Amino acid sequence: MIRKKSWYPIVYMFCVTAVFSSVVIGLTRFTSERVEANEKLAFERAVLSVLPDVEAETMTRLQIHNKFTETIEEPDESSKGAYTAKKDGQTAAYVLPISGQGFWAPIKGVIGIETDGETITGIAFYEQNETPGLGAEITKAPFKNQFEGKVISSEDEPINFRRPGATLGDNEVHAVTGATQTSNRLERIINTELKKWLDQSAN
Amino acid sequence: MKMAGSENKKLIIEGLWHNNPVFKQVLGICSTLAVTNLVLNTMVMCFALVFTLSLSAATVSILRNFTPRNIRMMVETLIIAFYVIIVDVLLKAYWPEMSGNLGPYVGLIITNCIIMGRCEAYGNSNPPGKAFMDGLFNALGYSFVLLIIAVFRELFGMGTFLGFAVPYFSGPYWDKWIIMVMPPGAFFMLGIVVWVFKSIQMAKEDKSK
Repeated sequence: MIRKKSWYPIVYMFCVTAVFSSVVIGLTRFTSERVEANEKLAFERAVLSVLPDVEAETMTRLQIHNKFTETIEEPDESSKGAYTAKKDGQTAAYVLPISGQGFWAPIKGVIGIETDGETITGIAFYEQNETPGLGAEITKAPFKNQFEGKVISSEDEPINFRRPGATLGDNEVHAVTGATQTSNRLERIINTELKKWLDQSAN
Repeated sequence: MKMAGSENKKLIIEGLWHNNPVFKQVLGICSTLAVTNLVLNTMVMCFALVFTLSLSAATVSILRNFTPRNIRMMVETLIIAFYVIIVDVLLKAYWPEMSGNLGPYVGLIITNCIIMGRCEAYGNSNPPGKAFMDGLFNALGYSFVLLIIAVFRELFGMGTFLGFAVPYFSGPYWDKWIIMVMPPGAFFMLGIVVWVFKSIQMAKEDKSK
């Protein structure tokens, strides 16, 4: 009988693996374009949402993509690594990508900055895996809206996180309650990226 | 036919209650702790588990007469991984936000001991239909315990249910229990749930004696 042969388990395992793997590979290839599009779209949505006059939350996938390709220009020499938003041929705002290590996983986001180079128009995150209900509150409106209109300080830290309830200055926002780690790390990420950007602009 | 009906009923009661994977077999505890702080995340996780467990038990059962015994665990792992990857890929493509929320935990279903346990204990030695039923109701037994934990964790920890604010709990009089949102909160909830259900089970057993 064939099952008694010593090579049977090897051949069997080989066949089973081949069958299951090919189905999985097929499925992955079939969906890979969509997965890539999703990632790109999450980024494009974040970029648009920090601009003051765009309602990114209510736009469809296609609208977002079109709006992004129309108005946003890739980073170049003059923008020091930030994306530029154009309006009627003029620079309307800068969108600076930020990234770094969060509490659980990398946090990636964008900060919108006005043409004066110091007033913040908004902040958004397109990749994070902080604790839902605590650290992940950084993606919610109450936290993000704090950044609108804040002015980056050119002395010491560009942006300061203060404990919840504290009175705030021009470059200060409230940290997230119960998420000290996420807040600390996010503060560091934001400040590192902003400093880098400011230093480049100064030169 | 009547025979099959009563057998199915037995499988249902075993999976959901007498032999419940979480509070009787105490399996799959790791995922219980990881994904139960939001009801919606938990529901998706449970759906993924129901899909994976019932289908892999059935597949193991279909192949049981061809699979050499000495490599059966390898084959089982392969089958389980196959279904889990399908769920993972579909989530990534069609529900990217949820895929991001669940992070690595979808992939970790592969190592959820409930699945391997049911494939070994039942799927390996029973026909596909019955293995499917056994897997399905074990997964549902796991799901309802997880959902109970999730409902309490989200309510006490965030004052919401499925993301909607619940009166009183979301108001200023309820001091949100931050520990409920953190992984240790799941430990406490799991302990309480196991305690309650085991007490009910044991009370019933005492009565029947």
